[in-house]
Amino acid sequence: MEPANSAALEALLKRGELVESTSEMTPDYLRELKHTLLVSGDTELISAPAYYLAARKAPSVNAFMTGIAIIQDELAHAHIAYHILEELGESQEALIFKRDPKAFRYPYAFDVPLESWTELVVANAMYDQAGFCLLGDIHEHGSYGPWKRGLVKVMAEENFHLRNGRNWSKRISLAGGDARDELQRAVDWMFPLTVEWFGLPDNLKQHSAQLDYRLKGLTNDQLRQQWLSTVVPFMESIGIQVPAHKEGDGYVLDYPFPCTFDADEKHWDFKDPCSWDAVLKRWRARGPRNAEMVALFQESFSKFQVRA
Amino acid sequence: MSPPIFSPLFHAGAGPLESRLWSALAEIDDPEMPVNLVDLGLIYGISVDRGCAAVRLTFTAMGCPASDMIMADIRERLLAEPGIEEVRLDIVWDPPWTSARLTADGREALRAWGLSV
Repeated sequence: MEPANSAALEALLKRGELVESTSEMTPDYLRELKHTLLVSGDTELISAPAYYLAARKAPSVNAFMTGIAIIQDELAHAHIAYHILEELGESQEALIFKRDPKAFRYPYAFDVPLESWTELVVANAMYDQAGFCLLGDIHEHGSYGPWKRGLVKVMAEENFHLRNGRNWSKRISLAGGDARDELQRAVDWMFPLTVEWFGLPDNLKQHSAQLDYRLKGLTNDQLRQQWLSTVVPFMESIGIQVPAHKEGDGYVLDYPFPCTFDADEKHWDFKDPCSWDAVLKRWRARGPRNAEMVALFQESFSKFQVRA
Repeated sequence: MSPPIFSPLFHAGAGPLESRLWSALAEIDDPEMPVNLVDLGLIYGISVDRGCAAVRLTFTAMGCPASDMIMADIRERLLAEPGIEEVRLDIVWDPPWTSARLTADGREALRAWGLSV
């Protein structure tokens, strides 16, 4: 049997209106909303240790301050998602501090260690751009009012991260020599990881409850194209090569998608295409830095708990 | 309250070149907030001597995470002005920045963005 407010919810979504409280949701909508929020919160949260471990390599005090400010923003953005989850009945404490590292639902890219300032700024230019596309879509099309409103400021702050990524990428490219080679190497392994971030291509993903419920407005491929349309021209403008080019109205990848990735070597084998099943298997197993990063924010939690 | 004195409008003593530079800096938005550097009240003074523009400026906080970006933006923008071959930036903390340094436009821009100033 359909839940009581199923028809009312459907009508509300059709009218383009916003859902404001759980009383308007169906159990299915609530489940999809929570899942979408969890992925967003986990992604913002894990970016803090991922960026922190690289920000320690900042080349100046000012640059370090910028890195730390970005981390502070990411933690605040994570807090917005977890706070809404708490209002929807989840325990923020359990979600952040008591989950197994492998249960976190952030993109695989963050599990591959960012080990230098160069890799951090490329992450700002490419990973934060991916976050910008995904959150911008939710901000623009999302049907859940409280989250949509919370994202106004998130978008403004993500812009600052993008700027840091772009300014520094340009600066490193202009420096030339070894610095520029390092930049190119970072882009070489991080670009395909971000392309993958947007998930299964539309022809393999037949149905999306997130789209039905307007928890997002654009498909995986549309979001991937949006990302490519900003990152490819930018990288080309600073003289950095990327394995994609413009063809007609869209962008085409110059390598088999998906293909195999060696996380320890940070190396893609463009001669070895693989199946999406193999990619999903790699994602589920998580990558090299998963446990270390989760431990960074979980390890001290229980130390200071007052025992009953 | 009297208007901040270091804005292009009130910088009456500036020569034509300096006035042009004030206007140029008013085109640069703060990287974190939708308000330009002049309306935010960060620019304390501009002088030009034989192609070298000297800018006295401050930041809203000593730990401003955007200071590198702001300095790079100022350099790039002023060097694009005819007659400017060099840019010298002098960071000062006295007088310290407070929200009283915002121009009326700056105040309005920040209010519209959701900051109470």
